[in-house]
Amino acid sequence: MGKIGKLNRSVSIIGVGCTPFMYTVDNEETNGLTEGELFGYAALKAMEDAGVSPQDVDFYFHGEASPLNGSNYLTPNIQIGNWFGMKGKGSIHHSEACCTGYLAIDQAVNAVASGKFDCVLTGCVEFGDSVPAPFGPNDTVETPKHPYKREKMTMDRFLATTMWLYDRCYARSMMAPMELIYDDAAEDYVRTRGITAQQMDDTLNWMAINNRRNAAKNPLAIERREFEDIAKEKGFPDVMSYMRSPYNPRMGDFLRMEGVERKCDGAAAAIVCATDMIPQIAKNLKHKPIEVLGIGNAACEATTPHFEIRATEEAVRQVYENTGVKPEELDIFFANDFIITSHLISAEIAGYLPWGEGWKYICEGRTAYDGDKPINTNGGRTSFGHAHAASGLADVYECCMQMRGECGERQVKKLPKTAMLRGYGGAQNIAAILLRTID
Amino acid sequence: MIKLEKVVQRFYEGLEEGKFLGRKCPVCGNVEFPPVYACNKCGSLETEWVECSGKGVMKSIVMPAALSSKPEYAQMGQYAYGEVELEEGACFNAVVKGINKRKRKELMPKLPVPVHAETFQRNGYKTVVFVLDEE
Repeated sequence: MGKIGKLNRSVSIIGVGCTPFMYTVDNEETNGLTEGELFGYAALKAMEDAGVSPQDVDFYFHGEASPLNGSNYLTPNIQIGNWFGMKGKGSIHHSEACCTGYLAIDQAVNAVASGKFDCVLTGCVEFGDSVPAPFGPNDTVETPKHPYKREKMTMDRFLATTMWLYDRCYARSMMAPMELIYDDAAEDYVRTRGITAQQMDDTLNWMAINNRRNAAKNPLAIERREFEDIAKEKGFPDVMSYMRSPYNPRMGDFLRMEGVERKCDGAAAAIVCATDMIPQIAKNLKHKPIEVLGIGNAACEATTPHFEIRATEEAVRQVYENTGVKPEELDIFFANDFIITSHLISAEIAGYLPWGEGWKYICEGRTAYDGDKPINTNGGRTSFGHAHAASGLADVYECCMQMRGECGERQVKKLPKTAMLRGYGGAQNIAAILLRTID
Repeated sequence: MIKLEKVVQRFYEGLEEGKFLGRKCPVCGNVEFPPVYACNKCGSLETEWVECSGKGVMKSIVMPAALSSKPEYAQMGQYAYGEVELEEGACFNAVVKGINKRKRKELMPKLPVPVHAETFQRNGYKTVVFVLDEE
């Protein structure tokens, strides 16, 4: 299908920043935080990490999945540029829903590889859990909003706006395209690998348990209490009895509650620089740059059968073909798992886990941070949280920190040199990003 | 000739008449359903209207649940979601009526199973759904 060419020059990630993922309105300390403050914090942390100043940065990319609903903005990039010292510099906003943060790296890399810019900022922000106040029965996107106050976004409003992800002409009217996002991949896995529904249920539960074990050791994660401790407190003899109980109800054909994203607020950013310009631009860089080897892209809108699987296969094929990297070279893997099944199927498609055997690795705990095949060491969307656009860059943040050996308690056993991140979202964009540490 | 044409409106008007309209590629014969301008198989810039039989097969089965259903869908009775392939070759995600959990269990080893299209009245327009042939 698609073909991608080599980048015109080597491009590296030299700095990363990330806010805690949080329910801002639930805490006095964070209630009232705004878009400029979240994005600005992540952007400045990324600049600090890279040892650069805003004067060194030529341009910025801004991602937000749902700016009209979440921020009451049409051009959100323009509204926040002053917050991180880049007043007057060029910028662009992009939105690919939950894939935004992965394509944020893609766009930044292309801009630098082309030679137009030497150093750019790419950042994303999302208020996935709140909307600008006033919010109430008569509030609409047209109603005037308070300068900084926000209100909790109800699940009804969230679900009503997620419908905007789907084609109005066909996908919404045919119903199945919108509804298959929850269970299509699980059904396909059960049917094509020949496992039982019970084995899939256990696998989904183990993915949630492993994600939570990772998040428990991550101060930026939104859910840090391990399921094992929760199970004990509720009087269950073991963690799986709890995960199979009504405390974790089935919400899909296969999917249970703990396999679904924790929608929340947050921001993340990265500084992307031409590798050969690092000595001039980032003279104070104190860690190894992480080179972006290549990025595969695909997109299947939701009337396409098995859209996630097909698009992932295509993006992964492209990036392997383009870079010559082999699946066995991957040391760590990230998958946007707002539906947790993604984590299993994309790791198998990428060849990070063996075909048809990935579910066993997961059930044996081998994909947690302390296993030999670590996945989503930050806790994934079910435990790190899902601030929709920002999640991809939060994965990039975690991946770079793991590759630099700076993850403390949740540092994986073998220092990763090569990583893949599988971005997914927006019914449905896919990106397969390959990163490698430059020695 | 490439035309600025109301393809979507004609598709829905077709459903009102009980017709299932797709677009056929004059170069490779691929049928696009639901209809769009160009061919997604060979890349031909043009396609032509074709009336599909509505006959096809269901190739996967996912049951609706709390997250994946809406009160309005209850009017369809028992149903599931899955991949449908028309006999003209187009593949897409669709609703198939006449399936409950027990039926799913019976059908899984027999996939793909024959289905046929029918219309379903939604708020202000008819859409296309499918029904198991044996029902």
